[in-house]
Amino acid sequence: MLQLDEVVKHYRVGDGEIIRAVDGVSLSVAAGELVALYGPSGSGKTTLLMLIAGLLTPDSGSVRVNGREVSRLSARERAHYRRSELGFIRQSLDLIPGVRADDNAALKLLASTGRRDAQRRVAPLLERLGLNGRAVQRAEQLSMGERQRVMIARALSTSPSLVLADEPTGSLDTDRGREVLTLLAEICHERNVGVLLVTHDPRAAAFADQVHALRDGRIAHYQPDNSHLPFEVQ
Amino acid sequence: MRLSTIFYLYRVRLRARLVQELLAVAGIAVGVALLFASQVANTSLSGSVTRLTDELVGTARLQVVARAPQGFDERFVSEAERLPGVSVAAPMLERSVNVVGPNGVETVDLIGVDRRFIQLNGPLLEHISAGQLYRQHGLALPVPIAEKIGVKSLQSLTVQIGAKNVPTILALELNATDIGAGVANPVAIMPLQAAQSLTGMTGRVSRILVEPYQGHDSEVRRGLQRIAAGKLDVQPANFDASIFGQAEGPTVQSTELFSAISALVGFLFAFNAMLLTVPQRRSLITDLRLDGYTPLEILEVMLFDVLALGIIGTLVGLVLGDFLSHSLLQAQPGYLSLAFPVGSQHVVSWQSVAIATLGGLLAAVVGVIVPLRGEIFGYRPVGAHAKRAPMRIGRALAIAGGLMCTVLTTMLLLRGIETVSTAVLAFVSLTLSLLLILPSTFSGIISLVDRLQRPVMGVSSRIAVIELLSSTTRARSLSIAATGAIAVFGSVSIEGAHSNLREGLVRSAANLSMGTDIWVSPSGGSTTLATTPFEDRYGGRLMRLSKVASVEPYRGGFLNVGDRRVLVLAPPKTDPRLVSATQLVVGNLALARSRMREGRWVTVSQELADERHLRVGGSFVLLAPRPMAFRVAAITTNFGWSPGTIIMNSDDYARAWQSQDVSAYQVSLRPGVTVEEGLREVRSAIEPDTALVVQSAAQHEQNEIAGQRQGLARLTDIAALVLVAAALAMAAAMGAMLWQRRPRLAGMKVDGFGQGELWAALLWESALLLGTGCSVGAIFGLYGQLVLSHALVSVTGFPVVFSMGVSVAIACIAVVTAIALLVVALPGYLAVQVKPALQE
Repeated sequence: MLQLDEVVKHYRVGDGEIIRAVDGVSLSVAAGELVALYGPSGSGKTTLLMLIAGLLTPDSGSVRVNGREVSRLSARERAHYRRSELGFIRQSLDLIPGVRADDNAALKLLASTGRRDAQRRVAPLLERLGLNGRAVQRAEQLSMGERQRVMIARALSTSPSLVLADEPTGSLDTDRGREVLTLLAEICHERNVGVLLVTHDPRAAAFADQVHALRDGRIAHYQPDNSHLPFEVQ
Repeated sequence: MRLSTIFYLYRVRLRARLVQELLAVAGIAVGVALLFASQVANTSLSGSVTRLTDELVGTARLQVVARAPQGFDERFVSEAERLPGVSVAAPMLERSVNVVGPNGVETVDLIGVDRRFIQLNGPLLEHISAGQLYRQHGLALPVPIAEKIGVKSLQSLTVQIGAKNVPTILALELNATDIGAGVANPVAIMPLQAAQSLTGMTGRVSRILVEPYQGHDSEVRRGLQRIAAGKLDVQPANFDASIFGQAEGPTVQSTELFSAISALVGFLFAFNAMLLTVPQRRSLITDLRLDGYTPLEILEVMLFDVLALGIIGTLVGLVLGDFLSHSLLQAQPGYLSLAFPVGSQHVVSWQSVAIATLGGLLAAVVGVIVPLRGEIFGYRPVGAHAKRAPMRIGRALAIAGGLMCTVLTTMLLLRGIETVSTAVLAFVSLTLSLLLILPSTFSGIISLVDRLQRPVMGVSSRIAVIELLSSTTRARSLSIAATGAIAVFGSVSIEGAHSNLREGLVRSAANLSMGTDIWVSPSGGSTTLATTPFEDRYGGRLMRLSKVASVEPYRGGFLNVGDRRVLVLAPPKTDPRLVSATQLVVGNLALARSRMREGRWVTVSQELADERHLRVGGSFVLLAPRPMAFRVAAITTNFGWSPGTIIMNSDDYARAWQSQDVSAYQVSLRPGVTVEEGLREVRSAIEPDTALVVQSAAQHEQNEIAGQRQGLARLTDIAALVLVAAALAMAAAMGAMLWQRRPRLAGMKVDGFGQGELWAALLWESALLLGTGCSVGAIFGLYGQLVLSHALVSVTGFPVVFSMGVSVAIACIAVVTAIALLVVALPGYLAVQVKPALQE
């Protein structure tokens, strides 16, 4: 499904200094597998996700999704790839304010169908995510957890084979965070979707099939610090 | 809170919202400019007449005025001087003439005065001594007029008086030092005797200006009335200025209506712009409340915002408005100058400044305080959203209110709009109806597009519909749509009514012009209404021409009837029309024509008949130079002269005016002679040695139409200005709204939406918003057109032809939407250039 081989992305900053945002990362995510990638701020997590989404091109190495090299796709093919094969769960919760939850969830479907049809198609998904009865609420009438679930619904609405989740629990309390992680894990297995979960929430490891750490742009061994967790990591 | 703290808070916040604040300032400035410019245009019109009248009359408080341009015997002057209580009695000769130089022709008011006039201390001749006046043997002209016709001091020029060309010299160029603000007036000054000689009116004067000793006004007035013996008018000295209001009424009222619409558009512009700054202000209020500031202190901070926005916006608006009034709205209705001394002065009254300033500050207060009142006064919890009435109830109430307003307008229309206040009430009620119905209509149209989009539209329109369904941006969307709606509503209403009026005036002009083949009349502006009399010396010469079948005298002039300067037209009895069906309001056309041919029967325009309680068949005494009794043959429109019009036959006019002078000749050609052949022959016989011009009936009609249209030309200018301002207002508001959406666009790019799709979505959204607003405005505008056309008929008595200006409506929608879309396209394009991003 997703195969990263020795992916490198360096940035040159103003004074000529080179930032090694991603420095020879290799990892893979299989269908139905949830992979957690830990890393502190500045470790290169967001750059890695942008490389996978085709929003950046690697300096070297290979990013392959379903056997295709993402960097070789044209701009139009990349857009199509992000729209139909990829689901993106973002931290920013950028729902359209003042718009119903189901319309927000169905946004990606509008590329292929009308609004009413899109609403019908996301309805089971919203129900599965525990948002039945909340579909007609406007974005600002939803709790933070509900908003995050609408973002998950949007990411899954086009039945992607790969989901990239960027700090999905970042703005949630403990209970809501655990709910979202549980849902992600369940959907990953139910729908046979590969999920790459980028986070620094230590609870995520409990739900992941593989756990990696990203430090200074490189994959490193993950050593959980469970002392502060309210639940036990298995 | 200390002022320095408030100022500090303002300064630090300004950095983060400079663009939005500048837009808000621009919004207020545009509103203030539109309001101020139209106010100044109006005050300049009436102000120039008032100023010239004041400058002429000086300290005089009474006057004796001739009822005809031929004036009266100057022996009355010494009789007036001898009256007990009279301090100064200054004779004046006045005549409308054309001054002709190498560069052109100008129509001026020739004023002949003597040393007694200087005793009145009028500013016009304040700096000219009696000696100077007497030494002057030629004409004195204000510098701007002299420059226009291309004549300098001591150079020769020609003065056209009626049918005569009289050569003279420019004795003196008058500048602002000599005659003050009078330099902007179309006047020519001569010593009385020289003016009498030039005009062929030896021993005659037009008026006597009288300054009574203090406390002797009544006694002097009685004495003057005795001398006048019912053949001259005794009036207050500033009478011209006071009756000018009647004549300029339609221009002023329509401009004022436009001022109100302009102000509303400007206010919506400002409101749109200020809505952009609401989130920042809301967050500041939240911070201040959490930091323990009281509502009063928060109000102080907000009021500082109001003052900063209001004062800067108003100042910019006043400067812009002054520029507009100079550059765009300076054209004065020239037709008024035939009856009044209209100058080109730029008169800015303190009232105009005050109204515009108050409007600007009010817009700032409403824009800043109203959306945040809940947060400022603390009845809305920090971070909470405004509680709204349930949507359906709110919509139902708005629709009910809107329908009630429409019903009110309809009732007023059916009952008859007879006064200005009724017209204003009907129009305001319709405007309110539009604003109340717009939100539901907007929702309905978006919902319709939503249903239609699957079969016919693509992804961009779907995204646009989703954005337009957002309740968060609904207020801003409606505000933008309302801006377009009001602008198009106003423009369609006024332009439509204007076009109906134009059509009416064309018919009126046809009625006045088409009764003959060829017109021979004095050149200059007076050609249009044929009101300049000249000696009947050319009829015989014309009759001897081989291609001419008949020559009939046409007469006409102005006459003060009460406080109206009425236009009296007197076609020859042989004119087959005399009065046409299109101008008839009450009466039997055939009977009216036959009675008018009999003599002593006249037609009277509606407003004059109403004021004097005249009916068809009724009689009245017309206080002409020789008062005569007439009967009313029919009631007509006013032929585009708002104070009123009377039509009689040419012979009756000669009797009542005690003069055989004519204003024009109507020449009929022999059968088989073409108009071109006739024109050639008549021109070669008349034009070389006279100041008369020869025109075909069609040319005469066109001249007349052009003259009458001039009076309302300003409406077209303001209508265009409002449309452009509205388009820019909507484009600015839309552009800013789209620019603020960049973070979300970045996220949508991550979700795989292409740049082109997103740009098209923004354009779809703008088009739907603007198109909906403008279309609703246009539909209401068609109704507004009906209201205004009825108002024009009832209030001004103008000849109006009723029709629906659908083409005007479509043109307005197209212009506003196209301009706004073109302007929005660039910020929209730039906004979608945002790089895809994972985080805001």
